[in-house]
Amino acid sequence: MPSQSSIERREAHWVEWVTGFASCVLVLFMVGLIFWEAVTDSHQPPALTVVITSRSPVTDGYRVTFDIANSSAATAAAVVVRGEIVDRDEVMETIDVSFDYVPAESKSSGAIVFSRDPADRSLRVRAVSYTEP
Amino acid sequence: MEGPVTGIFDEGSQRFLIGIGRGAAGALLFGLPMLMTMELWQLGFYMQRERLLVLVLVNIPLLIALAHSVGFEKTYTLAQATRDALIAYGLGILMSALILTLFGDLKPSMPMSELTGKIAIQAVAASIGALLGRSQLAGQSSSDEDKEDNRGDGEGAVDDEISGSYGHELFLMSVGALFLNLNVAPTEEVILISYKMTAWHALFTIVASIAIMHAFVYAVSFKGSHELPANTPWWHVLVRFTLPGYVVAMAVSVFVLWLFGRLDDQAFSQMLMSSVVLSFPGAIGAAAARLIL
Repeated sequence: MPSQSSIERREAHWVEWVTGFASCVLVLFMVGLIFWEAVTDSHQPPALTVVITSRSPVTDGYRVTFDIANSSAATAAAVVVRGEIVDRDEVMETIDVSFDYVPAESKSSGAIVFSRDPADRSLRVRAVSYTEP
Repeated sequence: MEGPVTGIFDEGSQRFLIGIGRGAAGALLFGLPMLMTMELWQLGFYMQRERLLVLVLVNIPLLIALAHSVGFEKTYTLAQATRDALIAYGLGILMSALILTLFGDLKPSMPMSELTGKIAIQAVAASIGALLGRSQLAGQSSSDEDKEDNRGDGEGAVDDEISGSYGHELFLMSVGALFLNLNVAPTEEVILISYKMTAWHALFTIVASIAIMHAFVYAVSFKGSHELPANTPWWHVLVRFTLPGYVVAMAVSVFVLWLFGRLDDQAFSQMLMSSVVLSFPGAIGAAAARLIL
């Protein structure tokens, strides 16, 4: 095994300085990015929006897939999304699905399987609750 | 040579069997924390197969390079290093399979892809452990002849091309970072911590990671002395070794997070945060590798 004590004692090769300063620039760049985030953070609560991406009949039901996006800089945890089939103000079917996390400025996707085809009845999918992580 | 296994085998195969035993012990020692992590069992079946393939393939050159630099049987040629690496990989796979079966986590009724996935993930850290076990556990019992040779080796390394051993140093750091990252990354806590942290916490984490990394090697220096020549300013080694080491740890963190699908559908700022979190253990692993390996 090479003797490790020797490496610092030797005359530094130019490659070491190039690598060193490139790393320095990278680290400072990253610190700068995070610093910029830190000072621009507006401390808004999570802002969740649900968009239905597809509807298709499956065995034993009707599947509705959706994306849930969080446009704020705060992460939401234990997010409950409720899907409802509504017929003239009367809720015919309710299904809850929960997400461990919807990270800040990110999106997650999920699916709800209703027992019946919503057909021309209206379909409501929205986030109903969350906690702070 | 007086060894635990005597009489039945000739000296060559006896040394080999002891080597295998140490490898198995190393695989256990380094692999158990991961073998007992639930998230890794789950990753075994839901991890994307292309990424699993990348992990499994990346491990091969990594083991060969590691065998070449720390291999306990004096590995001089690439062929010998390859042999040692493959034995270690084999041991890692075998030990992972045995322990997972012991824990009732592998059952004949499971689909083949689940069985192979679970073993393949675990085998990476276990094989690194097997290789390190063969070199580290050999410490006391190796014969004087071995030590003579090692010393001779060390003197030879001084004359090596400088950039070569600098690369070697960075490589060791990446192995240390990878090892700790593989242990920590699959847990949900990494993600949870990054959600709990504000950007200010992240900034302090970066500073702390670099400071601890530097202190580990140059101030505390428990083993393997990285002493500085008296006339060198302290920031020389910070720029030449610690900062590149931190960048290496960061790159390994991003790689491991990507492997485990922790970066999917995440905003850039969130990717950055979880990488900073994972680089903290990674940096310590990298620093420790410089001291221990």
